[in-house]
Amino acid sequence: MDDEAILNLYRLRQTAALTETEAKYGRLCFCVADRILNSREDAEECVNDTWLHAWNAIPPEKPKLFSAWLSRVTRNLALSRLRETHAAKRGGSEVDLVLDELAECIPGGTDPQRVLEANELAEAVNRFLATLKPLERDAFVARYFYAASLAELSARTGWTVGKTKTVLRRARLKLQTYLKEEGLC
Amino acid sequence: MLNHDSLFDAMSGISDDYLASAADLLGDTKEDNLMHFDSSRNQAGARKAGRILLIAAVLVCLFTVTAFAAGLFSISTRVPDAKETFQIHWDDSENGYLEWSDAKLVLTFPAVAESREIEFRPGWLPFDLPKELPGSAPWNGIDKDTWFRRFASESLCWSENEGKYPEEYRKIDQPILIEAYSMAQFHDGGAMLMLYQTPENVTEEHWDEPGVDVLSFHGKQHFEERDIPEMDLHIDAYDLEYDYALLSNAEQGWIIEVCGQLGMDTVRRVAENLEIRETGNTLTQADFQNKYLFIDGGVG
Repeated sequence: MDDEAILNLYRLRQTAALTETEAKYGRLCFCVADRILNSREDAEECVNDTWLHAWNAIPPEKPKLFSAWLSRVTRNLALSRLRETHAAKRGGSEVDLVLDELAECIPGGTDPQRVLEANELAEAVNRFLATLKPLERDAFVARYFYAASLAELSARTGWTVGKTKTVLRRARLKLQTYLKEEGLC
Repeated sequence: MLNHDSLFDAMSGISDDYLASAADLLGDTKEDNLMHFDSSRNQAGARKAGRILLIAAVLVCLFTVTAFAAGLFSISTRVPDAKETFQIHWDDSENGYLEWSDAKLVLTFPAVAESREIEFRPGWLPFDLPKELPGSAPWNGIDKDTWFRRFASESLCWSENEGKYPEEYRKIDQPILIEAYSMAQFHDGGAMLMLYQTPENVTEEHWDEPGVDVLSFHGKQHFEERDIPEMDLHIDAYDLEYDYALLSNAEQGWIIEVCGQLGMDTVRRVAENLEIRETGNTLTQADFQNKYLFIDGGVG
């Protein structure tokens, strides 16, 4: 079933909207949640929260690209869950590795007065992504939005793990340079 | 302070196209190898979510007698017979339309051929506005200088913006929704329909200052407890309640709907403080696909 037909089911309050969404995007949402939470049980509950959120939000929400909308909802729910359960401890998860890598882009000791609005940073990231080659961009987004592991990325891109690390490192350095040039760090 | 957490959070603003492309790379969107979740875990998660949904729906209820007024008022209301059908344009059906019966309320307006397009901005809201984020992120914020034809606040009450809203709003899915419509859309016998919610406490007023007729009412819908066996999902019974204020200007041919779950006093205050301006465009029925709109269905 195409996305518009599924969204119409939501608008008419037909519960088939949920079964169709699960059939089409269950895997996508589970993968998004599982990479962040690293727990099958938590990921499954997170995905269920995504379905209920979709049921509540549509209508009136009118997602332009349903898969991306669901990805964002799931990612945010997963991050909220992760922050709740891991507030005091860090280490070991893919998200922790991703955060460590991103720390390279924004060195410590940032001037507290240079507090950035999240939208400025998001705009800058989008402009930066537009400068990357398509496969590099996909790999960057897969790693830093979806928290994909290096092994998974390697398998998907056909690159060795070493090359995957190198591509991502170069991209991070480019991002660091870009953010500096933009006066954002 | 900007740090790796804020950068990781900012990744949520990545454009839809980039997200979809990366998901394709990862193979997450392939429909083979679908997940079939463990039943017991799924049930627990669904029940928890069902409780959240129930909490969101429990709001102040106004038990008053329905009273439809008649007279020289630019919004006409009637309760249709349960068997009366409306042919609604619907691309997904074989006939190109959907026959809908059992509508709860029909609202009609003066048959103007042209409407002046307007936009608005809220002069008062029950919460502060976070600054606008780019793209179609569901937590998009707004700027105080932004003019709208549709303002939906439900997405601002969760996730990244949670800390910016009062605690009591965070589980409410749609605190406030404001949307502008055009009477020209209903030019040849069309109407706004309440599909699901039963209206209560209907009142008519005229507000001199903005020069509009105002129809306000409370809408209520009961959802029975239900299971979705294919997903092993359980949703508890709950009541969904909204308050509506419809502002209507027959001379200029526009309508503004203000509705939400924060009570009629809040809805009215939001409506009273709207700033409204014309864009300079005019709209005719040719600009619309459907001659019906659903107040509580989200399509039209």
